[in-house]
Amino acid sequence: MTRLNTNQWLAVVLLAFSVLYLALAWQVPAFPMPRPVDSDLLPKVLGGLLALLSVCLFFEKPAAQEVDDEPEDTTQHGPFWLSPWGRVIVTSVAIAVYAAVLVPLGFVLASGLLSVGLTHYYGYRRHGINIACSLSVVLGLYLIMTKVMDVYLPTGVLPI
Amino acid sequence: MEAFNNLMYGFGIALEPINIAYVFAGVFAGTIIGMLPGLGPISALALMIPITFSMDPSSGLILMAGVYYGAIFGGSTSSILLNAPGVAGTVATSFDGYPMAKKGLAGKALAIAAYSSFVGGTISVVFLMLVAPLLSKVAVSFGPPEYFALMVLGLTAVVSLSDKSLVKGLIAAVVGVIISIVGIDMQTGTERFTFGSAHLLDGIDFLVVALGVFALAEVFYMLLRGGGGKEKPRNAIGSLKLSRSEVKEIAGPVGRSSVLGFFTGVLPGAGATIGSFLGYSMEKRLAKDGDTFGTGNIKGVAAPEAANNAACTGSFVPLLTLGVPGSGTTAVLLGALLVMGVNPGPAMMEQRPDVFWGVVASMYIGNIFLLVLNLPLIPLIAKILDLPRPLLLSMILIFCMIGVYGLSFSVFDLFLLLGFGLIGLGMRLFGFPAAPLILALILGSLMEESMRRALQISGGDWSIFIAKPIALGLLSLALLSLFMPMFKKLRKRKALNS
Repeated sequence: MTRLNTNQWLAVVLLAFSVLYLALAWQVPAFPMPRPVDSDLLPKVLGGLLALLSVCLFFEKPAAQEVDDEPEDTTQHGPFWLSPWGRVIVTSVAIAVYAAVLVPLGFVLASGLLSVGLTHYYGYRRHGINIACSLSVVLGLYLIMTKVMDVYLPTGVLPI
Repeated sequence: MEAFNNLMYGFGIALEPINIAYVFAGVFAGTIIGMLPGLGPISALALMIPITFSMDPSSGLILMAGVYYGAIFGGSTSSILLNAPGVAGTVATSFDGYPMAKKGLAGKALAIAAYSSFVGGTISVVFLMLVAPLLSKVAVSFGPPEYFALMVLGLTAVVSLSDKSLVKGLIAAVVGVIISIVGIDMQTGTERFTFGSAHLLDGIDFLVVALGVFALAEVFYMLLRGGGGKEKPRNAIGSLKLSRSEVKEIAGPVGRSSVLGFFTGVLPGAGATIGSFLGYSMEKRLAKDGDTFGTGNIKGVAAPEAANNAACTGSFVPLLTLGVPGSGTTAVLLGALLVMGVNPGPAMMEQRPDVFWGVVASMYIGNIFLLVLNLPLIPLIAKILDLPRPLLLSMILIFCMIGVYGLSFSVFDLFLLLGFGLIGLGMRLFGFPAAPLILALILGSLMEESMRRALQISGGDWSIFIAKPIALGLLSLALLSLFMPMFKKLRKRKALNS
């Protein structure tokens, strides 16, 4: 069996998605009164189109450099969490944790911790500047949003 | 005379102290964000939307317009100083701008970019004033079939003009429409793809997707490239002064490229990037010293800079007169307007003249600000490029979070943002263009609404889309725009084979 190229396995994933989407589109309930176009038409068309385009993608030759520029330091040695993909994963987890603690901790504390922590993790070692910059930006944004723009942001454990 | 009176009315709004402050803030913020490699006008606008939440619509759009052309201008600074264009529209500027910087003429190149942007921007605002009212008069006669056809054209044009694969562009557009129809169908009240979640009943907000696939994906991409890549050493700025002969030399290219850029910007799909490349190649062909382009020719900086700023203004024409954005950037602007409760379109000049003419007048002021603010401050502003990348990445993340949470107050949307950030990274890595996705996301529900209205008028007869000459013409153009790249590819292949 020949190995699938990038476009081909992407096409397989998209085709699977379009089949699932089409199955869901067929479950969109019909409107009780007859209408020229019901809510399910567009999803069905879109599912069909995506399936068709997936087939086209399967037969499309990948460009010379299909995967955008390679990461610069993929070859670097060290723990996984310091590798480029490790950084993406750790940042994703940090965002998820941030989303979970935003309301209980409050915007200023949660954002301050996220900013200081990630800046340090990304390799910036001037801690004073890191803390000063992060906190001033977070606090400035908080004050602009809440006091000037009247946008509510959670206060959490802090009294502001 | 009517246009003049309207413009004066617009100046009355734009010259209110608060609006002057917004133009200033928009141009300044746009310049800084546009300068940062990777963050283009779409990210800049998406990041700015939360700030416009509670603003008067005219002030909000004035701020956003300032950010837009500020970002285009800012992109030229990193193009010239680092050979790292902050935005795609300034790639052509780097062809001659960076060689000039290497020769120690960075200041001159930056000054030419500032003057050319100013002239390009100002000339195009005059055209905007003249063309927009005419087009909106024509657009008043547009019904649902014409609007549907126009949106299809906008979408196909953006797909076909993206430099990536046509199939991938179309897939991105289809996925954009798929995202747009999540939620309650406003015409029937039917839930679609909500999976029983109350968070999805109102659909997925475009800002969550825009910030995810552009700003957050950019952060991920920079991390993947090793923390945003190594900073290149900057060249000294040097003198900003231009001699009289140099001004004379660039006058023609700037004038021609401004007009070309404006009309390129009006066309759906073609924006600042194509405008700047067209301006550059036109001047290269016309110039007697065309062979020196690419080695630091001042006309090679002036032409694309005038064209990209003019195209940026030109792209407001379809947005404000038809309510149909022709690019990813103007799609984000349309989304921002909808959030503010303004529906752009042919009736906008009648219903919200304050927004339309206020923005037009603010563009004159914004262009002056671009020149007056940026020219003396260029050496200072350029220091932003020295900002440590780790700190910058964290700040972008915070801006994304606050933007999303401030819009919906929903933690669920923060998780969605993360999901779209990862999708955006995947799109970037596998060569799927993001602009068609965002344009389709914004146009998706509008397209469906127009299609349904048209079919309701015709009693379900699909021939309504080809029975109306304008709709037929627009749909034919849409088809043509899709098939043109294929024909070109086939011809290329034939030529290669023979």
